[in-house]
Amino acid sequence: MDIDVFAHGIVAGSLYALVAVSFNILYRPTNVFNFAQGELVMLGAMIFASLTSLAGMPWFVAFAATLLAVGCIGLVEERIAVAPILARSQTGTGWVITTLATSLIISNLVGRFWGPDPILVKPPALLSMDSLDIASSRISSYEIALVLLTVVLVAIVERVYRTLKGKAVMAVAEDREAALLRGIDPGSLGRWSFFLGAAFAAMTGVLAAPILYASTSLGPDLLLKGFAAAAVGSIGNNRGALIAGYVIGVTEAVGASLLSPGYQEAVIFMVVLAVLLLKPEGLFGSPNARTV
Amino acid sequence: MKATVSLPLLSASNVDAGYGHVRVLENVSIDVRQGRIVVLVGRNGAGKSTLLRALSGLNRPTSGKVTFDGSDITTAPPNAIVKAGLLHVAEGRRLFRRQSVADNIELGRYGLRLTEQDHHWRVECIHQLFPILREKMELPAGSLSGGQQQMLAIAQAMMREPKLLMLDEPSLGLAPVLVDQVLAAILTLRAQRVAILLVEQMVERALEIADDAYVMQNGRVITSGPAAEIAAGAALHAAFMGEHGAPHHSEARQGRP
Amino acid sequence: MLRAVVPYVAQAAALGAALALPAFVGANSYALFVATQLGIYVIAAIGLNLLAGYAGQVSLGHAAFVAIGAYSVALLTVDHHWPFWAAAVVGMVLAAGLGVLAALPAFRLNTWYFAFITLAFALVFEKMIVEWRWLTKGFAGVVGVPPPSAFGHEFGPRPLYYTVVAVTVVAFILVRNIVHSRFGRAFVAVRDVEPAALAIGASPQRTKLTAFVISAALAGVAGAFFAVQKTVVTPDDFTADFSIFFLLTVVLGGLGTPWGPIIGALVFFLIPELLAGLQSWRMLIYGGLLLGLMLFAPHGLYGALRQAWRRFAPAPPKAGAAADASEAREHPPIAGLALDISGLRKQFGGVLALDGVDLSVPAGSCCAIVGPNGSGKTTLLNLASGYYVPDAGSVKIGGVEALGSSAQKIAARGVGRTFQTPRLIADLTALDNVMLGAYTRERAGLLATALRLPSARAEARRLRQEALGFLHFVGVADRADVEAGEIPHGQQRLIEIARAMMGGARLILLDEPAAGLSMSELERLERLIMRICGLGATIVIVEHHLDLVANVASDVTVLDRGTVLAAGKPAMVFNDERVMRAYMGERALKAGVPA
Repeated sequence: MDIDVFAHGIVAGSLYALVAVSFNILYRPTNVFNFAQGELVMLGAMIFASLTSLAGMPWFVAFAATLLAVGCIGLVEERIAVAPILARSQTGTGWVITTLATSLIISNLVGRFWGPDPILVKPPALLSMDSLDIASSRISSYEIALVLLTVVLVAIVERVYRTLKGKAVMAVAEDREAALLRGIDPGSLGRWSFFLGAAFAAMTGVLAAPILYASTSLGPDLLLKGFAAAAVGSIGNNRGALIAGYVIGVTEAVGASLLSPGYQEAVIFMVVLAVLLLKPEGLFGSPNARTV
Repeated sequence: MKATVSLPLLSASNVDAGYGHVRVLENVSIDVRQGRIVVLVGRNGAGKSTLLRALSGLNRPTSGKVTFDGSDITTAPPNAIVKAGLLHVAEGRRLFRRQSVADNIELGRYGLRLTEQDHHWRVECIHQLFPILREKMELPAGSLSGGQQQMLAIAQAMMREPKLLMLDEPSLGLAPVLVDQVLAAILTLRAQRVAILLVEQMVERALEIADDAYVMQNGRVITSGPAAEIAAGAALHAAFMGEHGAPHHSEARQGRP
Repeated sequence: MLRAVVPYVAQAAALGAALALPAFVGANSYALFVATQLGIYVIAAIGLNLLAGYAGQVSLGHAAFVAIGAYSVALLTVDHHWPFWAAAVVGMVLAAGLGVLAALPAFRLNTWYFAFITLAFALVFEKMIVEWRWLTKGFAGVVGVPPPSAFGHEFGPRPLYYTVVAVTVVAFILVRNIVHSRFGRAFVAVRDVEPAALAIGASPQRTKLTAFVISAALAGVAGAFFAVQKTVVTPDDFTADFSIFFLLTVVLGGLGTPWGPIIGALVFFLIPELLAGLQSWRMLIYGGLLLGLMLFAPHGLYGALRQAWRRFAPAPPKAGAAADASEAREHPPIAGLALDISGLRKQFGGVLALDGVDLSVPAGSCCAIVGPNGSGKTTLLNLASGYYVPDAGSVKIGGVEALGSSAQKIAARGVGRTFQTPRLIADLTALDNVMLGAYTRERAGLLATALRLPSARAEARRLRQEALGFLHFVGVADRADVEAGEIPHGQQRLIEIARAMMGGARLILLDEPAAGLSMSELERLERLIMRICGLGATIVIVEHHLDLVANVASDVTVLDRGTVLAAGKPAMVFNDERVMRAYMGERALKAGVPA
């Protein structure tokens, strides 16, 4: 197999893993799988593109501003579209429809504001998108940095879950009422998780922009591939998401090179179906404990 | 009741509470004073657990008033009630089974600002009281035995140095020797001026260590008083074994299917 | 009276308006075109409502199933000159079949997996239409789909319109029949209270699958008509927006309400016509509407109308159902099943819940299991009824090993149970909750039910009478038409027992039936248990209320920390010193029992 195909699979897979991690951040305390997550990634890419390419803001300033802005949008989503539904019923799935509605609203507003044309985003200083010919693969310094950064980010997120706040999030995920009795406020953790999950999604968008360009079509695509990585890697498991991201990315690249690029989605879909059929809880999860 | 020396630490008056359409508690009033062990007894379904849930804010009372340590907590959210020093160890322990014992203990102090030193000191106190936990710190809580889980649940609450600890059926499923340990721990806590509100099915054992007792039936308090008096009285039996008396009497009705 | 008549008047008016329309507009008019299209969308929306509203499975890819139907008809009629009708059937079957293949893994998982997978399926399918140019002709699409014909006559716009109206009416009636049958009740049970679905022997996976197959098939039919009406089928017709459109239609009209899809589609068709200038804002409006409706009107326009109507014409006190079951009925004897448990062991993490428990309950007897909280009583019931899988031991029901069977299989063998907290379906009436119990007994298949064949109708009528009889048996027949969520706790328990009996239970497991009952309710329960036992059923009762146990049980088994402490006749067991100690403590033994 062509090592180039493999390398690009890993690069794309890193992005999918990041989306999956952003899903997980949000999912852990709330049990909500945000259907607007793809649009939050897209929004991150668009805001960042405008701030740097059009407004000429320095890279790091634009980066921070983007994360903050999209984090706040995530918070607004939680307040308007998720919290009222969960207040009605903790177990219902009305949020599937409301978060989907949020995604429609965001995608449409962004489309009107920015138009359909993709915006080129340059990588930060010292890195470039020019291919380096290393070992017969055409990969850029930015892409190498992205792959490494993804591993570091997953490690950082896992580290955050080792803090007391992180443990509290896991506690809420396991038994919401028991968490209440330990003085933990699930509502506040839910809001934080939406803020951070949205900011993480925005960061994914910023990181994806130099490779995929910033455009409104980014959303649905990354939503589904992020979901694929999260489901295959077991929902809530970030290390699983990283590996599953690679699996999805490489499968997609190989599938596209063997068949045709049009088959990318179909190949991923088949992989997800096969995994869920054989191991419903994903590759890196254990079946849920007793529920009664 | 004897004349109160000071204001009770916890005072619930005329509390009604329930789930959805179902009203479980009717006009329940109880007092718990500092450093006392108060036991709630009554049959399953009498409303004991519901009362604890109402006091800790899980089931907000539909009417009545609850004050704790001088402030009204009737409509306070559970986390605020915990912060005020009223801790509730729920029935079935409700630990975070997938997290380690150490993490569970650490979660007990969630939201408290403690110095590293204080934290270690409190964990040390817990280890003194429940030495077995020291050996299990890195294991998942779900792998502990029932008795160890109960100790861990109490340990979690101790991390906050509560003013009042509510324990719902701490002897649930425990071997006798472990029940002794748990009851001994409760006495130790009282010695540290912690008030205890205990729901316990081992009525006799509970009444032995308690100062005051309330007997509940069908969502109401039917009698209350010093634990020793309650233990000797007939109301307890009526509440516990049924209106018609104890099983001895059922012999007479053996003819029925 | 007014309340009873209104639905019929509304139905007749709607049908009349639909049939009269062509008389007022030209055959080639835009109005007739739009009306035909409306009917096609309603067909798909009715299916989606069954799936998302009743069975609780939100499909975000319904456009793909419509597309399968449309492409099947277009390709088979244009390229292979098939007649429309045969092609439409193929489209319907393909839509259902491909849908099931894609969604199969999702039924075992959380509901939102299904939403994601259907969304992904629609996206993949859209790409594949483009990719498989040799088959689908890519972006150009399939052109010149011929109209359907019958008896040598090609359908013009008017006959096509009438055909669509007819199919819509048929779909509406079929789905309504299904919703009001055991299948519909099982959909709601699986949506709202899965343990209750298991207790009546309904498999959640199969139930969801059934709803999905019907829904996808209806989408396929809608697609077939879509193709002939537009005469051109292109990939652009079936984008994600189209799926969202269907979802919004249903949410707007009212999820899980019979008229929801029709009202939703009607309103939806008026809005774009009125707001033609706002075409580019469409998706934003869709999103805003979806969000607003879910937040402020979860039952849509139909729900809002119904609420307003109820305020306008409040419900009269319901007494009708009670009357026709008022005569006390003799119930046929029940052939009880024996329960034999040996060496049962179950561990949760570090906690040994049951450690080698033996229990033998002869057929037709009433056995009580008592013991302190946490002694493993409920775990024992959950193991016997298949909710948990034991680590070791054997459970024989009627002499047949039940170990390893799923909860719904054990239920189907004649094991009924109640739960510590009654698990009734709050949205269904008491009578429907009891009828739910007959799920595995009903013979009428899906088709017979949907078509309301005489056999299915007779059976439904018979079961309804039987359910009323059981409600009467337990003494709450006067509540038959009240929604279970509004019935007091004590009566909910009795209804749950009636549901177990309705299921033909020959072994009934009662989990703390007396908890939280008042004195008078307790006496009713006691009499009821003795009467059921008198009919011959085997009863295993887990209970704290020793008076009740002493009165109804012929044998008592005392559990303590997962092992059997004592077993035998109540009088003997309750006088056992160890039992007294476990229950009352030492001093009670010494002091004796005050009268």
